[in-house]
Amino acid sequence: MPKKSRQTTALFKGGEVLSTNAGPLRMDVLVVKGVITRVGEGVATPEECEVVDCSGRLLIPGMFDLHVHACEPGREDREDIGSASAAALAGGITGMQIMPDTSPVIDGGGLVQGILDSAAKKSGIEVIPAGAVTRGRAGEELSGIAGMKARGVRMLTDADQPVANPLVLRRAMEYARDIGMTIGSHCETRELSGDGCVHEGARSYQLGLPGLPAISEEICLYRDVRLAQFTNCPIHVQQVSTMDSMKAVEFFKAQGVRVTCEVSPHHLIFSQDHLVDYNTLLKVNPPLRPAADREALVEGLIAGTIDCIATDHHPHTEFEKNLPFWEAPYGITGLETAVLSLYHHLVKPGLLGWDVLIRAFSSRPREILGLDPIGIEEGRVANFFIFDPTATTSFAPNSFRSRSQNTPFVGKELDGAIVRTICR
Amino acid sequence: MIPPRKDLLDIASLSLEEVQFLLETARPFKDLFTRSVKKVPTLKGKSVLTLFYEPSTRTSSSFEIAAKRLSADVTNFQVNTSSVVKGESVIDTVDTLQAMKIDYLIIRHQQAGVPGLIARHTHAPVINAGDGFHAHPTQALLDAFTATETLGALEGRRILIAGDIRHSRVARSTSVIFRKLGAEVAFLGPGPLVPPTSHTGIRTFRSWQDAFKWKPDITYLLRVQLERQRGAFFPSIGEYHRVYGLNDDRLRRVRDEGIWVMHPGPVNRGVELTDAVMNYERCLVNQQVENGIAVRMAVLYWLQPAEKEVPGA
Repeated sequence: MPKKSRQTTALFKGGEVLSTNAGPLRMDVLVVKGVITRVGEGVATPEECEVVDCSGRLLIPGMFDLHVHACEPGREDREDIGSASAAALAGGITGMQIMPDTSPVIDGGGLVQGILDSAAKKSGIEVIPAGAVTRGRAGEELSGIAGMKARGVRMLTDADQPVANPLVLRRAMEYARDIGMTIGSHCETRELSGDGCVHEGARSYQLGLPGLPAISEEICLYRDVRLAQFTNCPIHVQQVSTMDSMKAVEFFKAQGVRVTCEVSPHHLIFSQDHLVDYNTLLKVNPPLRPAADREALVEGLIAGTIDCIATDHHPHTEFEKNLPFWEAPYGITGLETAVLSLYHHLVKPGLLGWDVLIRAFSSRPREILGLDPIGIEEGRVANFFIFDPTATTSFAPNSFRSRSQNTPFVGKELDGAIVRTICR
Repeated sequence: MIPPRKDLLDIASLSLEEVQFLLETARPFKDLFTRSVKKVPTLKGKSVLTLFYEPSTRTSSSFEIAAKRLSADVTNFQVNTSSVVKGESVIDTVDTLQAMKIDYLIIRHQQAGVPGLIARHTHAPVINAGDGFHAHPTQALLDAFTATETLGALEGRRILIAGDIRHSRVARSTSVIFRKLGAEVAFLGPGPLVPPTSHTGIRTFRSWQDAFKWKPDITYLLRVQLERQRGAFFPSIGEYHRVYGLNDDRLRRVRDEGIWVMHPGPVNRGVELTDAVMNYERCLVNQQVENGIAVRMAVLYWLQPAEKEVPGA
């Protein structure tokens, strides 16, 4: 599939073309050898050109996912770059930034090259590796930053491991700032998290599970963003999950700090109230928060306080997710289901517009990484997907392109269908 | 007879009718204990396995006696917790047990939710004998049985639960059953050991003085795990005893006001209570132990197919 779509030549006829700035317009889109050559009404069909009837369907710019755990190298039983890319394409995602929390950790230029080589072989989408802030994500010495930068790394993050020592983080920020990179921060104060595994509140009390208090996230967020302000380094907060985290981001943005942040589809859709029967498929970090936080996150996304949506796609085997709740690893997969689940739960019911989704899941993430903009416009590389709002998609077990299926949507049916993804 | 369930995992999911049915069913079982032959043939030919991932003597013995008094064959499977390593699958163990054709599984595990996880993977009825900080439903049933036996209907009665609420599955299950039966519940304990009312939905007192003013009918003391001191939940055992323990001074007030005392055992003398409390005429600890067998018989009986009669009914 990736290789075939690389050189697409086709006329996409009669679909509604969506872009960030304008409402839907019924247009024909002609793609020749992977490049959009015409967008307009009544485009004539060139000879020997595939014609794709898009009437009743939407043409939407490809999404970019800033937060993917592709598990390669080290845990290819969970996922690799090829299977993650296939899952992304099926989900309308045409680019992804992959996390460095692999084995070995991606903390130097040579390792980044390995990822790029693998992606060139296996992936039909844009793959941007993130690099570790510190060697081995151990929080002590800085990683090989310049070598990674030279190979296209744009963001440094120790992934799910917060840089505990603020002095190390300060140095990393001072270095990253000068070299033109962004620090990505998973905000969590480990000492406050303790043994916690779900949001600390009424639900954790009822379930008898140790709680992860909201302040564990918020205090680390204040610290990291304040350090970014102090060092004047751009910072991207990964996975904002509480109202107060969001307010803090808003406060620092108003001060002119170069801070951006993301939210996951699951934090926009689910709350702690969905945690019944110790369903490990909803065990995530940061944890699902109270419903009021979820509502605030949706509002913050619409208002633009939250810059983008990122899945935190985190594959785990069935065995791992069948462990007792406390022991089971954090994370759910999101690449295949993100767009559809957001459509089903938020766009279709009228809680979120496509314009917000495209801004937050396509254009803004690309801006944050400094990637070329995309859009369904003449002269641009074809990078969009065809969406059928009237169809449904069922996520039967074992039907996933991802090697793992640890998602709350397994066995579920969602409204909407991604008919085809065109990229490159 | 109330339609039987497959599993007993917690109290919260039981209806009031189910709770009352279990308490009523336990009564004739308890009456059996005064006879010379304490056994009934209800579960003859059935096998009961107690699977304890956490050390326990009284709960596992209580279940064993309950099952034997119903004529079941009982096997005790004490999992050596030191051999339980992370990554070892509980489900694998259950598959093994499934192959042994066990009829009833009684499970205690240090992690919340494990009995439910096992229940979803086996056809046999599962009884939760305590999971992490989550639930201990048979303890709650025996507490409710004991309180009802002592006070009659619990509607409007006040029950003070004192101690380490945060780490207590007993507090979680027992508070739920008392409230289901119409009683009011309040907690007493130091801040680090009592989650806020916004989480528990239960009022909290910070001193015995305030708690006494509330006029409780029962004071339910929880066991305070000595190792919590190391986790900096409170400064010292001595300080805990002085501020939150039921000491001899407070026992005088308890006696004057005719308050009953309960405790799930095993007790820590010099921590949450004193020797004098154990000798107090309104201390219900021994009744709790005895009633535990009766309610566990009722539960085993209930999780059976529905044809059988309650003995003596």
